[in-house]
Amino acid sequence: MKTIFVNPERCVGCRQCEFACAVEHSASRDPAQAVFESPPPRSRIHVMPGRWYNTSFPNRCRHCNPAPCQQVCPTAAITRDAEHDLVMTDAGKCIACAMCAMVCPFDAVTFHEAANGGPARVVALKCDGCLERIAAGQPPACVEACKSGALVYGELNELIAEGRAREASVVLTSAVASQSASTRPPDHVLGWRAWGTTATELNEGVHHGRH
Amino acid sequence: MAGTENVSQLSSCNDARAMIVRAKEEGIETVWDRLAAQEPQCGYCSLGVSCRNCSMGPCRVDPFGEGPQKGVCGADADIIVARNLGRTIAAGAAAHSDHGRDILEVFGELAEGATSGYELRDKVKLEALAEEWGIEVEGRDSQEIALELADAMMEDFGSRKTCLGFSDRLPHERRELWAKLGITPRGIDRESVEMLHRTHMGVDNDYVNTLLHGLRTSLSDGWGGSMVATELSDVMFGTPKPNTSKINLGTLRAECVNIALHGHNPLLSDVIMQAAEDQELVALAKEKGAEGINLVGLCCTGNELQMRTGIPMAGNHLMQELVILTGALDAMVVDYQCIMPAVTDVAKCFHTEVISTADKAKFTGATHISFDPHRGYEIGKQIVRKGIEAYTNRNPERVRIPEGTVEMMAGFSVEAILGALGGTPEPLVEAIKAGKIRGAVGVVGCNNPKVQQDLGHVTLTKRLIENDILVLVTGCSAVANGKAGLMMPAAAEMAGPGLKEVCESLGIPPVLHMGSCVDNTRILTLAAALANYLGTDIDKLPLAGAAPEWYSEKAVSIGAYVVASGIYTVLGVQPAIFGSPNVVNLLAAGLEDVVGAKFAVEADPEKAALLIRRHIETKREGLGLPFVEAAKIAAEAA
Repeated sequence: MKTIFVNPERCVGCRQCEFACAVEHSASRDPAQAVFESPPPRSRIHVMPGRWYNTSFPNRCRHCNPAPCQQVCPTAAITRDAEHDLVMTDAGKCIACAMCAMVCPFDAVTFHEAANGGPARVVALKCDGCLERIAAGQPPACVEACKSGALVYGELNELIAEGRAREASVVLTSAVASQSASTRPPDHVLGWRAWGTTATELNEGVHHGRH
Repeated sequence: MAGTENVSQLSSCNDARAMIVRAKEEGIETVWDRLAAQEPQCGYCSLGVSCRNCSMGPCRVDPFGEGPQKGVCGADADIIVARNLGRTIAAGAAAHSDHGRDILEVFGELAEGATSGYELRDKVKLEALAEEWGIEVEGRDSQEIALELADAMMEDFGSRKTCLGFSDRLPHERRELWAKLGITPRGIDRESVEMLHRTHMGVDNDYVNTLLHGLRTSLSDGWGGSMVATELSDVMFGTPKPNTSKINLGTLRAECVNIALHGHNPLLSDVIMQAAEDQELVALAKEKGAEGINLVGLCCTGNELQMRTGIPMAGNHLMQELVILTGALDAMVVDYQCIMPAVTDVAKCFHTEVISTADKAKFTGATHISFDPHRGYEIGKQIVRKGIEAYTNRNPERVRIPEGTVEMMAGFSVEAILGALGGTPEPLVEAIKAGKIRGAVGVVGCNNPKVQQDLGHVTLTKRLIENDILVLVTGCSAVANGKAGLMMPAAAEMAGPGLKEVCESLGIPPVLHMGSCVDNTRILTLAAALANYLGTDIDKLPLAGAAPEWYSEKAVSIGAYVVASGIYTVLGVQPAIFGSPNVVNLLAAGLEDVVGAKFAVEADPEKAALLIRRHIETKREGLGLPFVEAAKIAAEAA
């Protein structure tokens, strides 16, 4: 399964991914023209500061499987693209009820009018995995923009294997130090958000050697 | 190497394409590879909305409105964009003006008799300048005059003046306008320093006020530092006269020691030229197996040499790495400005010796030979000797010089143009009035790897001359148009019927080489002379400027002083201002009501030509001259 993988310790907080994402999802796909578009194009990736100085995390839809958002969407506006294993939204079906956002473990869904077509009303916007770009053999826009290697695109297990050797010592330390923090996924939708928060915090801490 | 797959898209020149292919084959990195690696470039910086002027920051404004709209200090996109643009102009003006100061200092020392290798070659110009600056000429010798002129010009760099010495060249209306707006440049250094002050956190927090000072800063360059550089270079090295020489990488000669002179300042290259003719050194070159010493120019140092002495031109900005890739360049002697740090990396792949000469411009990997005007000739010889030594390391099997050269005519100083016209602008004015020449456009500026090399310059120039618009070129644009064959009298064939007739009667090309990039001041001087002759202001004239492939901070300063002088200017590469719609509106519209001219940004040279033609016809209408409805030209585009 190919995916966008995050190396949080490499994120310098430059927010180039946000910019590239907004441009990719604009009508013109041109940075000079995109800033003058109405509605303004919106990024679907959000770089959030970490708890420690100069740490940050580029947060985006993880395309979960099973996807809690898909499970709760009352209009079946959220579906899975089987070929690329991506969770996709259908703006035409979206009623902006925000159920998806309420259960999203990563708060990755935002509500705006789409700049690159779709109904002239606020709908759920989230990462579409740059489906068009990857179908054309290009990396996702955020990955292309990331010059520090915080965002990489590739086969999930290969990327993990790369990191495994590199971070073995950190992982061993964290496994001992953070036994109490449960990262087992919850059995019910209700628990997804809390689980996401725990997982994110743990992840951030692991990568900065604080667990 | 990434980014060189489609070589024909990178450059429109065959000599460049051949060398890019070689770089690809041999795995040698060039500017196009580095651009590809940088893409996509920082969006915030591209739009000008990032600020790192203080350590409460760095900050950036989200141009899409979702994230922060103000920096930590409270600066919004307007202030941040204006600060950045202001500093860019200040850096560009500083570069030109420091170049001017270097010339002036040597000029002053020459007047004191303390230099070696320099002389006052154009005493007529010296006296004309002295009279312009109110210096007594009668009964005094040249050195005395030069000394007093040097002192007077030094004063222009400081802060004791209220206006610059060259401002008398301007039409009265323009001077009044600048005074009213508070943008009369007072001192050459002062305006750049004040811009750095204003853009410090918490000083000038009004973007309009900052940008007005940006115009003043640029004027301190155009009517100050650059003009000093141009005029004194003429006095010391000779005022250019039309001459024909050769251009492109084919000017390198496999059988000779090849030395390229790269950068901007003619101070050093002039003495190297003398040294290359030194019998002892020529004999040494022959002893080492070469037939002689072949000097070629690159960038504006090349322009300075070509227009005065006909030394052949190897190429413009994007050729600086490629000239080394011929394998036939023995030494690249650099002074300053626009010299990529990468040249020493490319040189490591060959035998080429990179020799830096300015103490303010050193390069890791280069041999530094500190230039000292007191021992100019001696140092010139030392450098040429170094080139001959490097020649002995050349591997003939790696020599691949693209074949063929193109002829071009250079050296159209204002004096030369007026000379060709019989000493008065009247024939030019009459040709414009009659509509044989619709107007004149300065197509200037750099190369930028974001634009297919030379395509912007050449396409725009061709469209303009086809429509009877006289084109004046400097810098990289001069090289581009020279390579395209547009700068020989025979190119009149490519001009419209009116321009063709004028060119043929005067024996001049339709595209006139006016020099290096500091020599854009020649265009200002000519424009002012035309306005004065007609008793009007510059902004009323059918003139325009264009920088289709600009890249440097100096180009921003040039664009600003051209607009502030009243000349509409079209940029082919987007400046970093689009994060502030207010700044864009001011520069692309509002300025028209302030200084009578504005900027436009148009990446497509075909469309830029239409914009300029419409503008010129509008100005013709304003002067009561025969004109074509601007709307008709617009319709042609649709």
